[in-house]
Amino acid sequence: MKKSYDVVIIGGGIIGCSVAFELAKRGRKDVLVVEQEYLTSGATGRCGAGIRQQWGSMLNATLALESTHVFENLEEYTGYDGDCGLNQGGYLLIAYTEKEWEQFQKNLEIQHQVGINSHAVPLDCIKEIVPHINTDGIQGACFCASDGHADPFHCTYAYAKGAQGMGVEIVTYTKVTGLKVENGRIRGVATTRGDIEAKVVINATGGHAAQMAMLAGDELPIFPERHQILITEPVAHIMNPMVMSFHRHFYVQQTPHGSVIMGMGDPNEPVSLNTKASWQYLEHNAWVVTQTLPAFRNLRVVRQWAGHYDMSPDRNPIINEAKSAEGFITIAGFSGHGFMVAPRTAILVSNYLTGQQDSLDISRFSVERYKTGELLLEPSVV
Amino acid sequence: MKHIEVMVIGGGPAGLCAALAASSLGAKVLLVERDEIPGGQLVKQTHKFFGSEKQYAGDRGIHIGQMLLENVIAEQDIELWTDSTVLAIYEDGVVTVEHEGKHTKVKPDRLIIATGAAEKFLSFPGNDLPGVYGAGAVQTLMNVDGVKPAKRVLMVGAGNIGLIVSYQLKQAGVEIAAVIEGLPKIGGYLVHASKIQRAGIPVLTRHTILEAYGNGQVEGAIIASIDETWQPIPGTEQKIPCDAICLAVGLSPLTELAWQAGCAMAFVRELSGHVPVVDDLLESSRPGIYCAGDVSGIEEASAAMVEGRLAGLSAAFSLGYEANEAKALQQSAMEELAELRAGPMGQHIRDGINKVKLKRKIGNHAFENQTEKSGIVKDYSSDATNTCRAEIKTSLINDGIPTKEELDAIYPSDKRLTEGPIAIVECFQEIPCNPCVKACKRGAISMLRDINDVPVVDEELCNGCGLCISLCPGLAIFVVDKSYSGDMALIKLPFEYVPVPKSGHFVAGLDRAGRELGRFEVVRVTSGGDKNKTFTVSLAVPHDLVMEVRGIRIGEQAI
Ligand SMILES: Cc1cc2nc3c(=O)[nH]c(=O)nc-3n(C[C@H](O)[C@H](O)[C@H](O)COP(=O)(O)OP(=O)(O)OC[C@H]3O[C@@H](n4cnc5c(N)ncnc54)[C@H](O)[C@@H]3O)c2cc1C
Ligand SMILES: Cc1cc2nc3c(=O)[nH]c(=O)nc-3n(C[C@H](O)[C@H](O)[C@H](O)COP(=O)(O)OP(=O)(O)OC[C@H]3O[C@@H](n4cnc5c(N)ncnc54)[C@H](O)[C@@H]3O)c2cc1C
Ligand code: SF4
Ligand code: SF4
Repeated sequence: MKKSYDVVIIGGGIIGCSVAFELAKRGRKDVLVVEQEYLTSGATGRCGAGIRQQWGSMLNATLALESTHVFENLEEYTGYDGDCGLNQGGYLLIAYTEKEWEQFQKNLEIQHQVGINSHAVPLDCIKEIVPHINTDGIQGACFCASDGHADPFHCTYAYAKGAQGMGVEIVTYTKVTGLKVENGRIRGVATTRGDIEAKVVINATGGHAAQMAMLAGDELPIFPERHQILITEPVAHIMNPMVMSFHRHFYVQQTPHGSVIMGMGDPNEPVSLNTKASWQYLEHNAWVVTQTLPAFRNLRVVRQWAGHYDMSPDRNPIINEAKSAEGFITIAGFSGHGFMVAPRTAILVSNYLTGQQDSLDISRFSVERYKTGELLLEPSVV
Repeated sequence: MKHIEVMVIGGGPAGLCAALAASSLGAKVLLVERDEIPGGQLVKQTHKFFGSEKQYAGDRGIHIGQMLLENVIAEQDIELWTDSTVLAIYEDGVVTVEHEGKHTKVKPDRLIIATGAAEKFLSFPGNDLPGVYGAGAVQTLMNVDGVKPAKRVLMVGAGNIGLIVSYQLKQAGVEIAAVIEGLPKIGGYLVHASKIQRAGIPVLTRHTILEAYGNGQVEGAIIASIDETWQPIPGTEQKIPCDAICLAVGLSPLTELAWQAGCAMAFVRELSGHVPVVDDLLESSRPGIYCAGDVSGIEEASAAMVEGRLAGLSAAFSLGYEANEAKALQQSAMEELAELRAGPMGQHIRDGINKVKLKRKIGNHAFENQTEKSGIVKDYSSDATNTCRAEIKTSLINDGIPTKEELDAIYPSDKRLTEGPIAIVECFQEIPCNPCVKACKRGAISMLRDINDVPVVDEELCNGCGLCISLCPGLAIFVVDKSYSGDMALIKLPFEYVPVPKSGHFVAGLDRAGRELGRFEVVRVTSGGDKNKTFTVSLAVPHDLVMEVRGIRIGEQAI
């Protein structure tokens, strides 16, 4: 670790590592990633790692579509010798209410505009996609065959190793404890292993992003919210797609190795940095999911855990350069879908930082939108 | 949701004793054991235990377990759930159990974690071949399931487990190629090592396993000598044909539940890994959660039982039960623990505990929502126990065979030897054990300070009756009678194999290294009784061999 870098990235999740990679690729290689624990120790290593393009806002749909293209070749793209575990078994979104079903139709229109190959599934065809599903109460469903999920650990390591190969340094078990701001510009960070100077500092700390930004005087509406998830014993493959219900707040997938991963949002979950798992969640999630997928009733749960969603008011990312500290950029607020949009987000941010053109307008993600009212409202989040 | 005053997780010696102690003060207890039969490690310990009478020393582990279990079943205030696994301890104090096929929730006022330990593994090429076992697994196969696990075994590790399991394999008719040990000395009790040496099992210190070989299953192992830096010395490789390799390389505390409960944890090498930090009454940093037995540091069943008792007392006491009585009981349990740990074999435990001791918190002990983890004060002040005890420095520590000097020092005077039978106690190491002292009704065996001392025989008081032979768990006591006849002397030795010889049989007499010294007549065989099961065999041998013959062999079997 040197005393000074061009760019310091705080946070070794998928965002921090992918941004490091894209920056290095564009020639900004004097980069240090600082992680307080180990790579993927935050939301990234705890997430469902679903990759879905069926979004309800143009921006999200585009980010997800273009990110999916990167995931499809991530090993080659980063020069990684492992397997990033992409499994494109599709996402089956099921609607339980009239209103939800109407929203789905609107979403499909938007998805088709950006070129996503999603389609509505008539009730009597749902079982062709997931044969053992209980269709009671289902109004309709949508499916996109190129949706899927990947291995969040390998994806992050792929970016990290690729970045290191180009000269990026990564330090783990090192915590950023302060930010140095002078005359309205970021100058560096203070860490548990000493101070480091930097021209640009990127805040990719997920659920900790608002706290971190406050150290530079930047007040951001990002809130950590606990989300819980569980995994079962591995069994023979019976389900290819991720199945998701917004109304019932759940998602469930079967990994390539056979275990079933499922998670659920709790509308009453308070804002907190708590990552303890609860038995109430375990019982509730098991009950809710097996209403829709009774075949999973006899599976044994082998583990449960929790992580944070970094929530923003309109459930969309905030990419913001602090007014109080020029050169201090926060990338957070992904509201539970930061894994799947990370590849394209990293490209967007890196293009901006290296003065390159981008088809997306980065300023739309700034916190200004909450003042101007130009929100990026996303209707379809678990 | 079920409410209970004291919940105990794990039905090993620590858990059983915790449940008994808490209920003895009046608390209502739920004891949860994941196995069908409670007893923990004890269900497979067919050998006699060390310790003192208070920890049932001299009884076989399996009997101690059965006795504790019977007491638990007889106690109305203890509810016992077997075949029930504790899954988790949550933030709100709810403990979930897989019980009768259901996800069952329990809300205890106090919780005692007594989950024991799991075996460690070694990495070497071929360690995934069928036939590579943990020693505990082999012991379960033999002693619980009645399955002979192999024909010829290489044992890796000469701690107590490696030595004892080797002995039990031998009892089951399995050949032991060797016991190998990486350290320059035997880690287990030397009486165990002596016992297997005279059965002809070599113990090789400073040796390691390089690889296991075989086509689809173990057919052998390659072992080698190692230097001070644990590197194999080229040219010392040996092929050991065998059909099983047994790893007895230590245990690690089963601490997942303590981690999950948010108990402060510390890595303490002397206690064999990460352990929950506890105070002197065994309460962890999370108020209301106590830890006892191997889960808070690998030790012995004797200590586990006392810790269990202490934790049970502490939990019930903190609920307000028997406030007058409890303090004295806690005190005596703490003294028992101190005594068990006072010798050189307890040095590492004392060091480990002193490294991370939780200062007692005064005040509320309610097991409520998880509170702060603060209050952890490292207490380095050393125990008052004395540390100037002697460790064995001779070759005895390398092979379990006492040297001539060591033997000469304990032999009775020549005069006394010619006068008639007398006990020879070949127990040279300071271990926490004293059944021999209790066994001799004439008071001929004594220890100087406490149960860690080596036993000394008073040659005037001992009349050579031989009662003590079958009561020594180390099988370290012999009786020699030079007055037997003009040309023959008598040696009485302990015997725990089948078939049992009969008087009139001629058997091979073996020296301390298992070498045959000749064939001698069995003069008498006495049974130690149905429970004790150790026989005493009297053998007529020439006078010049009576100090050499220490084992016998029937047929080809060295025993
Ligand atoms: C249960 C669950 C399920 C999810 N499912 C999905 C899904 O299916 N699909 C999807 O796309 N997304 C999903 N998400 C969301 C996704 O995980 C996140 O949006 C994404 O991982 C965010 O990545 P990140 O790099 O921004 O944050 P993180 O992975 O949280 O990384 C931030 C890192 O910053 C480090 N850090 C924090 N403070 C400091 C400091 N002071 N100094 C140094 N380092 C610091 C942290 O240790 C952490 O490693 C899910 C999230 C959860 C919790
Ligand atoms: C081969 C061998 C020889 C030994 N010889 C001696 C000896 O001669 N003298 C001596 O004093 N000691 C001896 N010991 C050591 C002694 O057996 C242990 O120290 C002692 O058993 C530890 O007791 P414990 O109650 O802490 O743990 P254990 O005996 O391991 O019991 C723990 C119990 O907890 C249960 N459990 C674990 N997790 C859960 C869960 N989640 N839910 C429900 N139940 C759970 C387990 O099934 C087990 O029954 C020997 C050990 C071995 C392996
Ligand atoms: S032989 Fe008899 S008298 Fe002598 S020590 Fe043993 S029990 Fe006591
Ligand atoms: S001689 Fe005494 S102290 Fe030694 S093992 Fe036998 S009973 Fe224990």
